[in-house]
Amino acid sequence: MTAINRPTPASLQEYLRKHELPNRRQNPQYPSPEKIIRYGAIIGSVIQCHSSMGRAMEQARQHIINYEEIGGSAASGTVILADTLIHSKGRFARTWHAPIGGLWGCIILADTFMPRARTLLPLALGVACCEAVRDLGAKKACVRWVNDVLVSGQKIGGFLVESFRSPHYGEEYHLLGFGININNNCFPETLANLAVSLSHTLGTPVNLHDFTISFLAKMIWNIGILCYEEEQDLHRDFSWEDSGDSEGQKDHLLLEQWKNLSDTLGRRVLYGYDIQKKPQYEARVTGIRPDGAIVMRLDDGNQIIEHSGELQYL
Amino acid sequence: MTEEIDFDAILGKYHSDPYDYVEICATHTGRVNFKVAEGSNVNSPSGEWLHIPGSPLFEITRERNPKLVTAKTNGTISSVRTELEGQFVEAGERLLTIRHPLKKKEVIEGILKEVLYLFPAPERAKYFFSLDIQSRIEKNGAKTLTVKPGDEIIIMSLMKRDTPIYYTGETGVIHSVYFTPGVSVDQGQPLIGICASDKLPLIQKIITRVKADWDKLIEPANLEEE
Repeated sequence: MTAINRPTPASLQEYLRKHELPNRRQNPQYPSPEKIIRYGAIIGSVIQCHSSMGRAMEQARQHIINYEEIGGSAASGTVILADTLIHSKGRFARTWHAPIGGLWGCIILADTFMPRARTLLPLALGVACCEAVRDLGAKKACVRWVNDVLVSGQKIGGFLVESFRSPHYGEEYHLLGFGININNNCFPETLANLAVSLSHTLGTPVNLHDFTISFLAKMIWNIGILCYEEEQDLHRDFSWEDSGDSEGQKDHLLLEQWKNLSDTLGRRVLYGYDIQKKPQYEARVTGIRPDGAIVMRLDDGNQIIEHSGELQYL
Repeated sequence: MTEEIDFDAILGKYHSDPYDYVEICATHTGRVNFKVAEGSNVNSPSGEWLHIPGSPLFEITRERNPKLVTAKTNGTISSVRTELEGQFVEAGERLLTIRHPLKKKEVIEGILKEVLYLFPAPERAKYFFSLDIQSRIEKNGAKTLTVKPGDEIIIMSLMKRDTPIYYTGETGVIHSVYFTPGVSVDQGQPLIGICASDKLPLIQKIITRVKADWDKLIEPANLEEE
């Protein structure tokens, strides 16, 4: 069966040229928009479209294996899309509802990153999704640490990054899974109050193809930012790893944009590594560190820093 | 992995000096100001989430950015390099030493760490066993589980990025697990301790011997059960 959503690398390139690059050029914050886009341009160089599949992550792993079995390598930046996922799941094997109408898929990225970019990689997904959603008019969309995208407290997009070492050549890949509720307006009872679609938010159906192109263009930009900042890091004489705060340092461009789009800072939250199964404590978010870790203040006045886990707004 | 263990020598070492000497070094370059003196008692982090910092040890200032370094372990300050007070130091410079009284569990772990193969955390992150390993541990216990190089044993979770960690080391069974799911582990700290299955009786002998000799081993004044 032919996929309904069928964006092509050519249409993505056209969008980049006509919309993404001119828009980014207008922001003086970005010193070299062309360079940033060149860095990220591998995203979407190959786009596979399926009508249905089990899990996008599994499809990506198989895609890498298949290429290696014939002596090749999967193209870094390959995008795998499906109109619907049958066995999709979120973190901790949670079920993920992925019917027709949403944007479901995975990006395969070879691990060519240095440690800081690798750590910040999950932020790029949330930022790209939030930018794409806001571009369509959902101005209330915000990122919740790490990378959930919410509109008025309801989740519109969720992301998961898994690393994978290929079995034959031992190449390391990052599999960037994404699930964004676009025109899928019906949710299972358990998700009804927690999830929302973009079309419901806007009150009008959304062109899924156009949204996909916009999201991928923003992924190109944000992955490009990671690479661009890597280049800048090589010229800086400080180590981000041991910097407890960023005083006197210029913020990483991706973190800066994350802060612009996030409503997490200052919020009172419930924290847990697996918040559904084991919520741990309540705190107020006071900052985000250069390595993306969240800084919180507990009720007893002490500070706590978490590099992983989940937040729920209170 | 050590083939033969001289119990008397090892236990004698702990008997004569039941302490661990933890060297504290400069985390990065900067000007150092000590907050402790020789003989000061210091506390380790506390609180339900270990969120209450340990005792202040020193402040290190780099480019007008002061950073307070606190104790990660309890004990008594056995030496301070007071000649460095107010001086600029390089990263890694030894600044002071904490004499940490060992608990029974720590003595056992200390000995075991000499005989086990320790598989370290590649990054500061949270770790959990891969689903397959976890279900096998739940079913039969870790000590029946043989791991070999290349096995996907642990998942590293950092900023919502899950990375499978492949075992590299000697084939053996998982004897000790040093991480708790959901709790951060520092880079380089051991995640698991592995021993060859035929060495398991030897390991058990160590534990039994230390437990049996504990009261003789440690002077009552230093005795800290847990």
